[in-house]
Amino acid sequence: MPVRTPHFPDLLFDSAARLRRWESALMGLLEAHGYRELHPSLVPRESIPDGALRFFDGEELVALRWDFTVALAGLLARRFPTPPPRVSYAGAVFRRPVQPWEAVERFEVGCERIQPEGESSGEADVELARLLMAIPGALGLKSAILHLGNAALVRRPLEAEGLAGDLADAVVSALSRRAPHRVREALHGHPAADRLAAHAEALLSELDGPGTLDALQASPYADLLRDERDHMDRALKSLLPILPPNLELRVDLADVAGLDFYTGPTLRLWAPGAQQELAAGGRYDRLFPGLGRPWQAAGFCVRLSRLLDLAVTRPDLFEQPQ
Amino acid sequence: MTPQTLLIAFPKGRLGDELVPRLASTPLALDADALKSRVLRIPTATPGVAALLLKGADLPRYVAAGVASLGIVGSDTLDEMDMDLLELADLGFGACRLSLCALAGVTLETLRAKPHLRLATKFPKATEAWLTREGLTAELVPLSSSAELAPLLGLADAIVDLVQTGGTLKAHGLVETLVLGRSSARLVAARGAYLSEPGRIRPLADLLIAALR
Repeated sequence: MPVRTPHFPDLLFDSAARLRRWESALMGLLEAHGYRELHPSLVPRESIPDGALRFFDGEELVALRWDFTVALAGLLARRFPTPPPRVSYAGAVFRRPVQPWEAVERFEVGCERIQPEGESSGEADVELARLLMAIPGALGLKSAILHLGNAALVRRPLEAEGLAGDLADAVVSALSRRAPHRVREALHGHPAADRLAAHAEALLSELDGPGTLDALQASPYADLLRDERDHMDRALKSLLPILPPNLELRVDLADVAGLDFYTGPTLRLWAPGAQQELAAGGRYDRLFPGLGRPWQAAGFCVRLSRLLDLAVTRPDLFEQPQ
Repeated sequence: MTPQTLLIAFPKGRLGDELVPRLASTPLALDADALKSRVLRIPTATPGVAALLLKGADLPRYVAAGVASLGIVGSDTLDEMDMDLLELADLGFGACRLSLCALAGVTLETLRAKPHLRLATKFPKATEAWLTREGLTAELVPLSSSAELAPLLGLADAIVDLVQTGGTLKAHGLVETLVLGRSSARLVAARGAYLSEPGRIRPLADLLIAALR
């Protein structure tokens, strides 16, 4: 697919100033909440995935940092016997775009909340959601929408039915498209087809406030997912009373983006009319055990490049800086 | 039209011909005078909502980029294009089959036995998927229209094309050898518009579903 230039945008005065201001505001906010900055190398040591920007350094194939979470996880697993609980980061990552309008070089600010295995993760999830709720204000966004989801709402029923590989991918892809009819098509002839299709209908039936959780009652997996529902319910009860006036909270039961990575609650930040989410994150408890560390973790990343684009195309969404 | 005008992408051609009469007398009825003109951006009966008339192959791109918030397009087109958009409903109309078609008398076995099979098609992705499932290899001849001529004139051994009534095939002495899949009109939405403004987009999507299903 042809990709629109610029792949590697140069930031001129206004955008450069905005980036500096936003980075500084967000890192200040994170620091005030106990997050300490780590700066992993621009050339990570992790095995290089597809989509990374690769080149030869002499005989050696290397890649530019493609993802902060992965780079930080490698660094933390190598250098820390016990996990620092709160870590923040800021800088650029380089990835071949999935969407033609995205740049290869992207600026991000984010944070990770890391805990030893066995510690209760519920409070950490709420802490991150509260922090994300403060981000629109720090960026000068006039209004925003926070979506709460949970990857386990899809992952656990698929695992319970023994669905894996291409078939599971087809179901997840159909859910990502919010196409319940495609879920039925994908599962045609499978013994769990009716159950999983009914589950998909339940997940896709609502995209609204806290009442959306009730839609889970219609799922054949309502009992299996009771813990996840209770967790989301507790999070909502904790977040709603402190919701800033210009932030809307929605429950998105069918959030499957990054399902191969996320294991629990997910967070997405949108602005009204924005074409892409402005921040995203969630719980990913399988990453550190895969690196030999029995730690659990969650975090989110604010996509500053998308915000810079939005500030140019939709300046009406932002307060004018003082 | 204001900058906040919400755009719905409608297909030109076969699907569009079925669509426009179904929308008459609904809040999304297209302005009759504008339809008779050559303009491609048509006001609807609902202020603040306009329709774009687009070629089916271009339509998903407009929706995926968020230019149009909603659109209607055949699932055959969606399956050929790997676009990031939401597919909210199967509207059911415009149903047709994606079929392997050859000259009368040419069987599937004849085609399988060919050492160098040539298939002409507008649907290379679906054709490749079928060939992979069958363990076959073939030379794909990409065409954008009038694929029925290809077997007649020796450009290909067979075609993979959409069949609705079979009238065009019959007129060219072709028969359906195998049905590879089915297609129908789908209601699609821009991911960003739908997720960031569901209160604005969902009522219109529901309206389209009610009018068109």
